[in-house]
Order: sequence, then C-alpha cells, then structure tokens
Amino acid sequence: MTVVIGKPADEPRPWAAPPRPAWEEEPSRAGLAGKAIALTLACLAILIPLWIVVVTSLSSRKTIDEVGGLVLVPKGITFIAYRELLSGGQVTRAAIISILVTLVGTLFSMAVSVLCAYGLSRSGSLGHRWILMTLLATMFFSAGLIPTYLLVQSLGLTDSYLALILPSAISVFNILVLRGFFMEISQELIDSARIDGAGDLRILWQIVMPLSRAVLAVITLFYAVGYWSAWFNASLYLNDQDMMPLQNVMIQLVQKQEAPVGLGQDIKTGQLSGLAVQMAVMVMALLPVAVLSPFVQKHFKKGMLTGAVKG
Amino acid sequence: MSHSTVPRSSTEAETPEKTPTASGDATGFREKPPAGKLSLRHRFRRDRVLVLMTLPAVLLVLVFNYLPILGNVVAFQDYDPYISDNGIVSILNSPFVGLENFQRIFEDSAFWNAVENTLVLFFVQLLLFFPIPILLALLINSVVRPRVRAVAQAVLYLPHFFSWVLVIAVFQQMFGGAGMLSQLLRQNGYDGIDIMTNPDTFPFLLTAQSVWKDAGWGIIVFLAALASVSPDLYEAAAMDGAGRRRRMWHVTLPALRPVIALLLVLRVGDALTVGFEQILLQRDAVGPGAGEVLDTFVWWNGVRNQDFGYAAAAGLIKGVVSIGLVLAANKVAHLMGEQGVYKK
Amino acid sequence: MTPNAASSGPSRRSFLASTAVATAAVAGGVPLLSACGGSDGGSRDGTTSGKDAKKILPAFVARTIVKPDIPSKNGSAIGFTGKLDLATLKTSVAKKLGKGGKVTIMSPFWGSPPKQNNAYYRAMNDLIGVDVVWQNQDGNTYDQKLGAVLASSDVPDVVVVPGWNMGGKIPSAIISKFADLGPYLSGDRVKEYPNLAAIPTDAWQRSIFGGKLRGLPMPQPSAPSMVPLYRQDIFEKEGYEVPKSCDEFMSLAKEITNARAKRWACLDMKWTAFQAFGVLSGSEKPLGWNLVDGKLVNRVETEEFLEALEWSRKLFAAGVVHPDSKMGKNAPEPGPKFAAGEFLIYPNNISQWWGRTAEQATQNPDFKIWGMDIWGHDGGSPTLWAEQPAGIFAFVNKKASESVIRDVLAVANVTAAPYGTKEFMMTNYGVEGTHYTVKDGVPVKTDQGNIEVMNAYPMVASPAATLAHPDFPEVAKGQVEWQQRMGAFARRSSFWGMQITEPARYTNLSNDFEQLEDDIVRGRKKISDMQQAVADWKSKGGDKLRDWYQKLLDENGSAAS
Repeated sequence: MTVVIGKPADEPRPWAAPPRPAWEEEPSRAGLAGKAIALTLACLAILIPLWIVVVTSLSSRKTIDEVGGLVLVPKGITFIAYRELLSGGQVTRAAIISILVTLVGTLFSMAVSVLCAYGLSRSGSLGHRWILMTLLATMFFSAGLIPTYLLVQSLGLTDSYLALILPSAISVFNILVLRGFFMEISQELIDSARIDGAGDLRILWQIVMPLSRAVLAVITLFYAVGYWSAWFNASLYLNDQDMMPLQNVMIQLVQKQEAPVGLGQDIKTGQLSGLAVQMAVMVMALLPVAVLSPFVQKHFKKGMLTGAVKG
Repeated sequence: MSHSTVPRSSTEAETPEKTPTASGDATGFREKPPAGKLSLRHRFRRDRVLVLMTLPAVLLVLVFNYLPILGNVVAFQDYDPYISDNGIVSILNSPFVGLENFQRIFEDSAFWNAVENTLVLFFVQLLLFFPIPILLALLINSVVRPRVRAVAQAVLYLPHFFSWVLVIAVFQQMFGGAGMLSQLLRQNGYDGIDIMTNPDTFPFLLTAQSVWKDAGWGIIVFLAALASVSPDLYEAAAMDGAGRRRRMWHVTLPALRPVIALLLVLRVGDALTVGFEQILLQRDAVGPGAGEVLDTFVWWNGVRNQDFGYAAAAGLIKGVVSIGLVLAANKVAHLMGEQGVYKK
Repeated sequence: MTPNAASSGPSRRSFLASTAVATAAVAGGVPLLSACGGSDGGSRDGTTSGKDAKKILPAFVARTIVKPDIPSKNGSAIGFTGKLDLATLKTSVAKKLGKGGKVTIMSPFWGSPPKQNNAYYRAMNDLIGVDVVWQNQDGNTYDQKLGAVLASSDVPDVVVVPGWNMGGKIPSAIISKFADLGPYLSGDRVKEYPNLAAIPTDAWQRSIFGGKLRGLPMPQPSAPSMVPLYRQDIFEKEGYEVPKSCDEFMSLAKEITNARAKRWACLDMKWTAFQAFGVLSGSEKPLGWNLVDGKLVNRVETEEFLEALEWSRKLFAAGVVHPDSKMGKNAPEPGPKFAAGEFLIYPNNISQWWGRTAEQATQNPDFKIWGMDIWGHDGGSPTLWAEQPAGIFAFVNKKASESVIRDVLAVANVTAAPYGTKEFMMTNYGVEGTHYTVKDGVPVKTDQGNIEVMNAYPMVASPAATLAHPDFPEVAKGQVEWQQRMGAFARRSSFWGMQITEPARYTNLSNDFEQLEDDIVRGRKKISDMQQAVADWKSKGGDKLRDWYQKLLDENGSAAS
C-alpha cells in the first residue's frame, strides 16, 4: 500500500500493516491459518457457483449428459449455446434492449443527479434547505406500489421504455453522495473561476467534475447496475413481450426453464442442451457487471462513506 | 479531505473526521453560514442558476414520489380500473366506500399471515445476516498484504452488483431439485434434496441469498470505521498489557458501536420491507403460506387481482406503520446517545 | 381478494395447437366470498338464455367438407384417421375477406413463441388478407398482464381470454371494454362468414357476455380433456401395467421410482385424482356447483374433494413425484424431462398427446406417449364431469372501427375452417416445403414447423372440435377413442353450457383455494386447513352465493344430466 502524501508514514492500522509495531504480539500460526481458511472459504463460496455457471455454459450437450447436469470440470469448450443465443433471436434483442436502456438511463440519471447535487452544494443558497428537505423526505416514505403503478399507467408510460427510466431515475442517496463531494471542493478555486467570469455550468463542467472523477465513476456504476439489474418495472409496465429486457427474459428462461424463442424445438428434442443455454444467459447477465465493477472498486469506500456521513 | 487529482492509492486512508464516527451532521445540513442581510432579490439573482439545476430532480421526485401519495385515495374506494382508460379518470369515477377495505383486511387471514411472515423474516435476517459483515470486516482488516486484501475485497463485493434474478438463478442451480447439491447427493447414493421449494426453511434460504449477495458489500462501512481508530489507542492499550482479545473488546468494538447503531436503526425503520423482489421471484415456489410478505401481498391483490382499493389499503397500512417505526427507532437511538438517522 | 385463477393447471403449459384440441379444462380456483364487498355490477351479472339468447345467437349452417372417420359421440371431438388427399383440398373461403388492415391480437402462449413475422405468420396473413400482429404473453401468468392491459388505454384490437382467467373484475372489463359482435353475426348475418356459421350453437351460447354476443369461441369437446399421459415405450420395456385404481397406481409408482437413477413415477397427479374421485370440475366457477338432493353443493364442500387431495398428498409423501412438481407454478415445462424419462406419467391436456409425439418424432423414434384411461378410485368406473363446449374466447376492442371488426372476422373465418380445407391445412400445418413435407401422402412437420406453427391462430376461432393428425393418425384415433370412452362416464353439472357472470361483490373476495390445494398436496398445509377455509368461505358469502345460483337455476333451468 503506497503512502498518501501528507499522512503519517505508518498506516492507521498498525497491526495489519508491515512492519509490525513493536508492541504487537507475533500472530499465532493457528490464528493465521484460521484466517486464511475463513477468507478462502468466503471467496470460494462466491466464485465456485460462478465457475460452474460459466463452465456449464461452455460445455457440449454430451459433457452435460455425461456428468448428469452441472459441470464442474470442463471437458472441452464449445460456444454453441452462445452462438445460438446471439444469432438474432429473443435473447439477442433483450440484450440489446438492456444495453440501450442502461446507457440512456445512466446518462440521464447522472445528468439530473450531478446538476442537482451541484445546485445544492453551496450552503445558504436560495431555497437550498427546502429543496434538500423535499428530496430527503422521500428516503423515509414511499407512496406505495399501487398508487405509483396507477400514476405511471395514467401518464401513458405503459409499453414505453420511459417507464423503465423515469420512475426510478434518481436516487436521493446518490445525489447526497455527489453533493458531499462537491462541497469539499475548495471554495477559493470556484470563487476565482467566478471572478474570471465563469458561470455555474462552466464551473461544474470544467472544475468540479474533473476533480470528482472518482465519485462520478462510483455513482455511474451504481446507476448502471441499477438499470442493468432491474426487472420489476419492466414486468409491471411492459405488456409487449418483444420489449422485455434481459433480466426478464432470464426469469423465463432460467427460473421457469422455458426455451428461448425459436430454439424450443432444438432443446425439446435434445439437440441443444437446455442447461447450457440457461447458463449462457446467466453469463450474459453477469458479465458486464463482473468486468466493470472491479475497476471502480478502489473508489467504493470513498463514495459509500461520504454518503454515510453526509446522508 | 485532500483534493489533489492524484488518484489516491487507497481509499482506506480516510481521515478520521470523514468516517461515521465523526460527529458530522447526519442530515446533510451544514451549519448555515451567516447569510448576512442579503435581500431576497439579490439572493435570487445570485442563486437562480443553482435552483434551476435542481429542477429536473425536484420535478422527478414531485411526480414520482409525491404525486402518487394522492393516489392512496383508492384505499377508500371500490376502485374499478375498467371504468375508463386512465387511472386518474377511474379514481374520479369510482365510488367511495369509507373504511370497508381496511375492515376487510383486518378480517383477512392472508393479510395476517403476510404480517407474520414479514416479521419472522425481519428477525431471522437481523440475527443471521447482521453480524456477518462485521465479522468479515474484522477478518479483512486483519489481512496484512495489500494484494490479498484487494483481491478478496473485489471478490466479496462482486455479488452485490448481481441482480436478484441472477442470484436466485445461481441458488437454484446449486440447491434446486435438479441442482448441483442434489446431483452430488444422488451420485453418491443419497436422495436429492430441494432447498428452493421448502417452505419451512424459506426464511433461511432468503437470508443465505442475502448473505451471499450483500454481506461482502456490507463490510465497507465497518472497514472505514476500523480504519478510523487511532493506532495510538491500540498502542496505549498494549502498553497497559491488553492482549489481542482485550484490545478487540475495548478498542475495536467501541469504535464500531456508532456504525452498528446507525445501521440497526436504519434496518428497524425498514423492518416491514424485507426483500420484495427477492421474495416475489420465489413466492410461487414455496407457496404464499411461507412466501407472502406485506409487499407481495399488495402486489398480488393489486397488480395480479386488480383489487386495487384493497391492495392500496394494505400498502397504506404498511407505509404508515413504517414511518412510525423510523421515528421510533430514531428516538431509541437518541436515547441511547447515538446519532441516529437525523438530528432531533 | 379475488380468485386465484392463475396458477398453472398443467394443461395451460405447452398447449400445442392442433386445431380444435380441447383446451384447458383445469385451473381456476373457486372464488371465495366475503361478507362485505363492492357495489353490485347491476344488471351485468347472471346469464342469458332461452328467448333472449335466441335473438342474439348466430344461425347454424353445418359444413362438412370431409366425412369424419369417427363421428362425435359422448361429447368427443370428431376424428379423422384416414389419409387426407392433399392434392384435392377444398377452398372454404371463396374470396379473401380481409381488407388489408392491421390487427393486433394479444393472446396467451404456452411454450416458446415463434419469432414475429416468420414464414408461417406471413403465409397466414397472405391467405387472410389481414396483417395480424401478435402480442404473445406467457400463458402461465397471463392473468397478470390481462388485467393491466384491459385497464390501460392501449387495449389491442383483439384480446384472447381463456375462461379460467376470468376471475376478479375481468368479467366486468369484458363487458365494458369489448365490442358487441351481434350486428355482424346474429341470426343470418353470420352467413357472410360460412366457417363461423358452422361453429356449433353450444359454443356461441357460451360467447354471450352481459347480454351481448361478444366472444368468438374456440369450441372444445365436452368430454374430459385432462389425460394421464404416460411413456408407453418404457412401460412396455419394463413390463409395467396401466393401473386400474388408486391403490394400483400407488404401488406402480413406488415400483417405478428410483430417485438415485433420476427417475420418478409422475408429476403432481391432482387433476387425475379429482377425476378418479369424481370431484366437480374446477375449470370454471359455475361448473363447481351441482344440485344434489335439491340443494346446490360446491365442489369444495364434497368429501370426494378432500379424498382426492389426500391421495395426491400421499403420492408426494411417498416420494414418487418428480421434484420439479414442488415448484408449483414455477415448475419447468414437462416436455424435456418427460422425453428424458425422468418421470413416466403426468396429467395434462389431451393436446399434448399429439404435441409431444410430433416434437420427438424426428429425434427420438422410440419415444411413445399414450393416454391412460381414468380409473375410479376404488377400481370401479369413474364419475367424470363434462367440460364446457367452449373455453377460450377472442374479443374485439370496443373502440375498433367497423373495418377492423370485419378484418377480425375475416381472420376468424379462416382459422375456423373445417378439416379437409386448404385453410385448415395452412392454419395447422403451415406451408408445404417449409413447415411440413409430404411423405407417402402424409404431411410431416419439419423442425421449423414445430417452432412456428403453434397455438396462436386457432384461438381467434376454431371449427367444431376436431381431432385430425394426418401425420400421426393412430394418435388421433387414440385421442378420440379415449374421449369417447371417458365421455361415457361424464355427466353434466347444473350450470353446464351457460356463460355466467357472478355478482361483483362475490368475485372480489376469495381465498386462494387452488393455492391451498397445492399446498396441501405438497404437505405444506393440512386437510383441516381446507376444511377451515371452506367453513370461512361459507360464512363470508359462500352460502349467499349458493342462494344466488339457486335463483339462477330456478329462472333458467338445469343442464344437469
């Protein structure tokens, strides 16, 4: 762990950071082994199921039949399940829909949230308190599923992708996290920019946002994951099956073990392994998240913490 | 907090005053700087752009969080969704029936069953889920090597970003009637078991899923609190002859206390909301006897059976009780001398 | 609460369309009532019969293109088992009636729907002259979407509603949202659509909702439609005998089951148990009532009902039921695991007899599915109850213009074409060369045919119940003969054949009988819980509903046989 400039050279957790402080006892062998085992088990509990899902999705029907179900040890790799799913059918369409909704939704959510967070970042500004109150209060109550449902339906959002974006577009928590960060930015910097004649939008764009890349990355991930994982609003507000995003298709294919549109016959007659197809859909759903989240990982704590303090 | 644009090598290097142990203002309000005697007009000219910037968010909140509150009038109606093509017009045209829906709810054994399940789940999750992130955080915190630590954290955080659909699918593949576990049992001469459809163990299944998905994520806050403890405290304790265990008891745990209290308060305030999506996805597999909670009860009666007035009434009861719980939990937190969610 | 007409009666899964295959006979919990309810639906409830109905019903003009090899008997479908001369198919629709408009149709779908705009849909639309756009919904959870769609401003031009989905406020929605087809079809007007005129009057009678002819019916045989299907090939190989009583079934099931080898005897046998014990039909609320010694009795009040549940429970308890069945509504489609021999018996709609045969034919030549005769629980003859003569209806949006309605009727006139016509062949087999090939004069479906030619179009309207599978004539024969043997044991309950709308105050409130049934069978609830639920049902309004039905019976007479 590198040392942050301006901090004492020794880390704030001396008993964990080498070199060990003089007053601390040498850890016992058993203690170390216990810890290692516990940590390994915790990680394996997460990784093994994922491993099985991935391996099974890459296995041929023959392998799956031989082991009698899920595959732990790969015997040859085939992409047939993916090829079938991505050859332009139901799953391909659902994946494209999910990607588009996630992109558009995240962009919209970020724009609205960043603007709002900046708008609230100067304490004592006009209406600041009232607006903040209005937002905060929503964290403590919910209007209820039924009234919300009736409202969305009355607004004519049924069978519209807007129904997947607008009702859940902003998270007040995320706005508070952003605001907390923006408030930490040196006021002199902003003031001097203002004296140079920069408006608020420009200050936000040219000074505040570049200084907040870490938190912006975290919040973007939060929003993106939210859109990518959502299925309930789609099940509620979309009637047209052809509009369904990937998660909803996954419910049908994996939970109810139905066959993807167009592939039913191949699976029924055993030409294609239904299990591999299910697993492939699961991999498609987890892949973007599993690839992206570690990149942002190092910023998580900062984001979460500021949120916890300020919110 | 420093604001160099140099990426920080470790976000764990938080300064103490940024952690929840610090006595920050938990509501997000900072002390108002002396506003001076600026006129409203002046302030408006100065701040109008700021206000405009908040407008989209405020509008969204007003429309999708506040406006629907009015829709709760259907709880007092025999709401007929088919009178017209538009929910609002239908509300205006549906007859009012007073408290009839509420009366029906209180006589409905299915409702009380949902209440019972909700409470059982809340307590099971509280007892079994809550301590795990704390233990994991202590474990991670004691890991010395930064690489190991980063990898472990990456793995532990990962499931938090999976959707419930995916998590449940994974569980089904592992523990379902045709899953990995049953497969192994059968191959070794035992009968398979199906954990996914057993109503008796359903609360534990749900908790296991929550642990798998979110326990890793839950350690973040605790790690931060641990990072904030001054090393001097440990050293002083060690000098006084306190061993590992006593240092844990007298230094580490007190540092976690405020965070634990805050999270408990939040959790209790949310007691009636126990994993709606997670349960809805599995309700049919175990049957409503074990799988119906308040939120799914509302969904079933409203969305599924179009008995909107009845469902809205149940939702309203839940909402009102929930607000009461938040207030009560905060009160308790204050009495205990903790911060709670907001200030008095 | 409203009735749980939702969960999956087996027949609603993968209900493959041969035309007039009987559709789901199952499903539908009986609604429970409660002391206080909403306002009454006014004159909307009740039924329409006698003179009032005569004024509305379309005229009947019989139309037989090919003489059936097995005429209808005991409420069976008509059967065709001979070879069909594909070269000399008749044309039943002289000129395209469609005016080229676009019609959106929402319908339930069991199994995986084909892609939009596939070769079959295109060919059908060409033949009809209407551009039909399908909105297929998962049939197992259809009621979830149905309510939402009907409450929105965006009701499709045509909505298909199965009888078992008419719970809660759906009947009132049908009356307020759908068009009266009387001006186009009543009396002689129907003659403009000769294939519709050939639909039996029984089925039209069931299409009267709220005093108006609103539905286009899909006729079904009144003979039982729920068949205990079994793997005849494995039975023969292992020397298993088809059971003749509940006890025989149980011992056979134990013999078959070997969980370690991944083999179980059956799926949930609840539906078969209801038949073996003579329980009144649960497919539609009115069928659950019957006059016994001058008093109306509901199926849930009978001893037989409890006995059937108890026996089904014993099967689960004995471990002979495939673990998938525990998942209830979430259980996967039975097809692949049945084909893999993981279980050998399951009760389902008679249509699956042919559906499974066709889908496995090319890949698994040994696979053979057959239907068991239903046994009386004690080994005697069973007492069975007749199904309604039509169970699925297509409705036209009230806002549809006349030209849209005419286009819809053009669609119906093609899909209702009788056996032996080009239209029937297209509706059920698709395009030659693409969806089926002709071998020795027999059409054999291709894989593409098995994917695309599924159950959408026949739900708009169908001819009189017909069983004809030129590719598997022995299956058609087996099906019709099964219906005739079982039909001989079938009786009509008091409200058979009527389309009854219950007063809103009773539909609004109910406990979940079907769910409770499933919970008991799976050992999660006790028989005594059911007895308690029935007692509650009576006191909360069941007895009042009985009076209401009694009055209906006094006014309209009984259909009982």
